[in-house]
Amino acid sequence: MPEHSYDIVIIGSGAGGGAAAKELAPLCQDGARIAVLEWGPKLAEHEYTGREVEMAGKLYFDSGGVFTRERTMTLAFARAYGGSTVVYTGTSLMIPEGPVQRWGVPGLQWSDLRRRSMKYIRENNVHLLEEERLNDNNRLFFEACGKLGYRVEQFPVNLKGCQGSGMCNLGCPNAAKQGTHRVQLPAAEAAGVEVITNCKVQRIEERGVLRAVVEARPYGLPSAWEPGEHLVRARVVVVAGGAVHSPALLLRSGYGRHLPALGRYFTAHPALILVGEHPRPITNYHGHPKSFYCDHFADRGFLLETCMYFPFVTAKNLIGFGDDHARLMHRMDRLQMILVLALDPALPDNRVILDGDGEGVVEYRFSEQVLDALLESMKVSARIFFAAGAARVHAPAGEKFFIERAEQDRLDELITRRRLRPGRISIASAHLMGGCRMGAGPSDSVTDCWGQVHGVPWLFVADSSLFPNCAEINPYVTIMAFADRVAEAVRSRWREL
Amino acid sequence: MTPLSERQWSLLLAAGQRIVPPSHELDGEGQRRFRAIIAAALAERPAGVQRQIRLFLSLLRLAPLLRWAATFERLPASRQDSFLRWLQDDAPGRLRQGFWGLKTIVFMGYYGQAELAPRLGYAPSRTGNEKLHA
Repeated sequence: MPEHSYDIVIIGSGAGGGAAAKELAPLCQDGARIAVLEWGPKLAEHEYTGREVEMAGKLYFDSGGVFTRERTMTLAFARAYGGSTVVYTGTSLMIPEGPVQRWGVPGLQWSDLRRRSMKYIRENNVHLLEEERLNDNNRLFFEACGKLGYRVEQFPVNLKGCQGSGMCNLGCPNAAKQGTHRVQLPAAEAAGVEVITNCKVQRIEERGVLRAVVEARPYGLPSAWEPGEHLVRARVVVVAGGAVHSPALLLRSGYGRHLPALGRYFTAHPALILVGEHPRPITNYHGHPKSFYCDHFADRGFLLETCMYFPFVTAKNLIGFGDDHARLMHRMDRLQMILVLALDPALPDNRVILDGDGEGVVEYRFSEQVLDALLESMKVSARIFFAAGAARVHAPAGEKFFIERAEQDRLDELITRRRLRPGRISIASAHLMGGCRMGAGPSDSVTDCWGQVHGVPWLFVADSSLFPNCAEINPYVTIMAFADRVAEAVRSRWREL
Repeated sequence: MTPLSERQWSLLLAAGQRIVPPSHELDGEGQRRFRAIIAAALAERPAGVQRQIRLFLSLLRLAPLLRWAATFERLPASRQDSFLRWLQDDAPGRLRQGFWGLKTIVFMGYYGQAELAPRLGYAPSRTGNEKLHA
C-alpha cells in the first residue's frame, strides 16, 4: 500500500477545508508539507454543463437527496474540489451577535468571528448585485414584503463576472462564483499545498495515521494518487468533511468512546420550497436566483429567502402528482419561489450515527416548534405571493393543490397542521450544522473554542460541524471564520505536535 | 445491468403516467431517456435501496388485489389515482415513504430530461442576464 507523509493533512476542501488550506499554506515556505484530501472530483471547466440530473450526480452525494434515517428529510451536500461552495448560491452573510452569544462557548467572541468573516467577505469579492441584475422573482418578493410591512434585506453575494445563468446550485458554468474552488484552494496550491481529489478518508487509526482510498471516476480530472488504498501519516489532522462526514469519520475512528456529544446536536435549517403561479410569464430562471431574504419572523422560528430551482427539484418538492402537478410544472416561466428555512434547535437526539456499513446517517426528528414554524411560514409565504400578484399558490400543507387568489382570506383553514406530516411533504436541508460542536468540555461538546478535539492535541475540526447550535443565517462565511480560527491554532502549535 | 425487470419497468411506466400524465406523450427517444435516467440513478444507489424499490414495486402491483381484485396495471385510471393518493396521504409510514421514492424517480426520469425543458416553459441560458430586459 502506498504511504505518504505530511506535517498537516486537511480532510475536505469546502468552506472549512479550503479556508484552512489557504491560511496554513504559508507554512509551506518554512518547509511544512501540507495535503488536502477531498472525497470528490475536480471537474474540468467544460464539465459544468448546467444539466440538472447530470450535475447533481457529479457534484452531490446521492444526487443531493441523502435521506435521514427516518426518511422524512433529504440533505443536499456536495463532494467536489471546493465542497459545497461549488453548489451554493454564493450568499455571504455575517453572523449576527445574537446567535453567537446564545451559543455561549467560553473563549469564542462574536467580535473575533466578525473580524475573520470580514476577511473572507473582502477576499471573495462579496457585494450587492446592481438593481438591473435583479429578476422579477426577486423583485416581486422584495416589493411584496415591503407592502406587507415585513423586514427584507438584500443578500451580499460572492460573484465575479456573473452572467446570470441561474445555475449556481449546479456549479456555475461561467466560473463566476467565488467558492473555495476559485479562491482559496488555487491560492493554497500555488503556495505548495497538495490537493488529492477522489480520495475518501476511511479511518483515523493511531496518532495521525489515516487510511484512505482513491477511487477512479469517469469524470473530472484524474487524482494525483493512483486508485486504491493509501496510508497517510500526519503530525496534525484537520477534519473538514462537513456536518455528516466529519462526525462519521470520528465515530468510525473510535472517538465516540470518550466524547459522548460526538455526532449529537445536529441542526439543519429544515427547508420548504413554496411556489406561487403568476398569470403571465415573469423573469425567474434568468439572472441570479437568490437576492433577498426576510428575517422578520426569525423570532417565530423561520426565515424566508428568494430562490429558483430546476425542474426536477421543483417537481419533487411540490406535494401531490397528476394533472394539477403537471400543469403547474409546465408553467415554469410563471413561477415565483420562496425558500423557507426553519431555525431548528440543536437537540442531543438529532445526530449522526453509523449505519451497518460504517457510513454516516442522520437521525432527525422534527420538534413541534419546527413544525409550527413551517406551518406559519407557508401562510406568510402565501400572503407574500398574493401581494406580489400571484394568481394562485401551492402550499405543501394545503388542503388542496392550489389556493386561488379569491381564497387568500382563508389561509388558516386551507393550510393546516394535519396536512403537515413529515414523510408526506418534501422537507430538504442544505445547511447542515453540528455533530462536533464546540464547547467547554468533553461532557457536552467535541472540541474546544479553537476546534481542537478535547484531549487530542493533534486533531482539529474546521467545518460547520463545529456549530453549537444553528447559525440562524446562511452559514458559509461563518464556517470560513471558524476555519480561520482553527488554522491560527494549528499554526501556533504544529511544530511542537 | 438494468436494476429492474421488464415487468417492473412496465409497472413503473404505468404508475409514471398517473404521476406525470404528459409522460404518456413521450416518443420512443423520450421513453429511452426516461428509463436511462432512472436506471443510472438506481445503479448508483446501494443494493439495499435497490431491493427496497423492487419490493415496493411488487407491493404497488399486488396490493390493489385486496381491495379491487385486480393488479395495479389492470385498474382503471381513476382507481389507480385513488390508490396512489392513499399511498401518499394515508398509508402507514413505510408505504408512504415508498411512494415518495417512486414519485421522485418518476419525476427524475421525466423532468430530468433537459430535452423537455421547452415544454415546461423553461429555457435557461448561460448568459441569463442578457434576457432580463429583452
